[in-house]
Amino acid sequence: MMEALIQLKIKRQDSPDSKPYWEEFTLEHKPSANIISCLQDVARNPVNRSNQTVPPVVWESNCLEEVCGSCTMVINGRVRQACTALVDQLQQPIVLEPMSKFPLIRDLQVDRSRMFENLKKVQAWIHIDGTHEIGVGPTIPEKQRDKSYVLSECMTCGCCLEACPQFTLTNNFMGAATFSQVRLFNMHPTGAMEKEERLEAVMGEGGIAHCGNAQVCVEVCPKNIPLTESIAEIGRQTFLQLLKNLFLK
Amino acid sequence: MGKFTKGQIEYFLLKLHSLTGLVPIGAFLILHLSLNALRTVGVLPYQLSIDALNNLPFLIWIEVSVIYIPLLFHSIMGFYVFTIAKSNVFKYSYPRNWMYTLQRVTGGVVFVFLVYHVGTTVAPKLWFGHHLFDAAPFLIDVMNDTFTTWTGRTIYLIGILSATFHFANGLWGFCISWGIVIGPQAQRNAGYAFMLFGLVLSVMGIATVVEFSLHPVSVQPTFGGTS
Ligand code: HEM
Ligand code: SF4
Repeated sequence: MMEALIQLKIKRQDSPDSKPYWEEFTLEHKPSANIISCLQDVARNPVNRSNQTVPPVVWESNCLEEVCGSCTMVINGRVRQACTALVDQLQQPIVLEPMSKFPLIRDLQVDRSRMFENLKKVQAWIHIDGTHEIGVGPTIPEKQRDKSYVLSECMTCGCCLEACPQFTLTNNFMGAATFSQVRLFNMHPTGAMEKEERLEAVMGEGGIAHCGNAQVCVEVCPKNIPLTESIAEIGRQTFLQLLKNLFLK
Repeated sequence: MGKFTKGQIEYFLLKLHSLTGLVPIGAFLILHLSLNALRTVGVLPYQLSIDALNNLPFLIWIEVSVIYIPLLFHSIMGFYVFTIAKSNVFKYSYPRNWMYTLQRVTGGVVFVFLVYHVGTTVAPKLWFGHHLFDAAPFLIDVMNDTFTTWTGRTIYLIGILSATFHFANGLWGFCISWGIVIGPQAQRNAGYAFMLFGLVLSVMGIATVVEFSLHPVSVQPTFGGTS
């Protein structure tokens, strides 16, 4: 039996330094509703359970098909994307909270720039032609392409970091997504030209050595990226780099 | 020595923490549990093993450099690692997250246990000047007394099981952190292998406690206390 009404319980906060509070909304049930459509309904008619008109709830979303990562939030205690959270598969009241490991902007919107800063630190890109041509890249074997493809699906959503006990609001741990991107770009034949720089970056502050192998990242990653394999692989690459630094340089 | 960045020093200290857990501390744990399990074979081989250890040349230097300094370093770093993270096992209750949390809890338990353990064995041994062939009768009596009560037995069982779990699970983590075991299937298999390893260490420890509890035997110095 589908419920005739949808109960939403949202953790709200008006500004980065104000106090959070809970607010409840009751919505009409619509077939195939997801959390984004519910939040749109709230925006259309922002009246809470006590019949007060309140400022509409703020959230972020973009692609609506689980490839951009921007609507990531904690739904019924579990971090995931709001767009693929179907109301009929959720227990009511549906509890929405912002991610807790990123600075809060407003309501369900957080600032995930820490992830992008980390991607910059590890040069998570492939250098292309500069002042001169570096030529056509080598052909990538199908098996390797297959592996790379999975890693390339990371959408920087932050689920793996929200669920990681080593990643907190106040420390500087880089987290699984960053290490997995280091692996992705190191295994690319052209990307491998900056392999050492990437490894040096994760052998520094907040780097790979902080991983405690709790392995929650791989459980919550919506893209099923083999994060624990990436971590072990980068563990190996950094260890070999350490030996090289100690004995060969 | 070049100049190192703060990040490089942090990386190095964390790697050293990981390594010291394996050698020398873990290696010592294997040795320690094995030698004590000699008690289940007979009190004489056990006494001879204590004599052998206490007659090692430069014993105090070996102990300080191979056990106490690495252990203290590993413990301090362990507590540091403990404090900069925050377990969320009640929110994300996956088996591996439990092991992660238990790794930290057992580290703390082992630390408290070791303060008690060293405080009741090594400290009085040095304080009262038991050494060479005198050490075995003294230490064996301390253990005989400890294991007459359920309090003593419980403290030791908790201490030993915490240490074996911490070591076995730590080895698993070590294999991943250093990139020895990589694929998900390999990680799972390694998990089972180290569980078995931890079980063997636990059985050795438990057997020793049982033997002491069931058959307390006092001994005389091997050479009549002439040392
Ligand atoms: C005395 C108090 C101790 C504390 C507070 C402590 C703490 C810790 C912590 C927090 C970790 C996790 C590190 C990480 O995953 O990043 C760890 C790892 C480890 N500990 Fe301990 N520990 C202690 C004693 C011991 C003892 C007695 C042993 C030996 C049996 C030991 C062996 C290990 C091993 C092998 C690791 C794995 C290192 C790795 O993950 O690479 N520890 N310890
Ligand atoms: S690795 Fe997975 S969980 Fe982590 S940011 Fe990328 S897509 Fe999200």
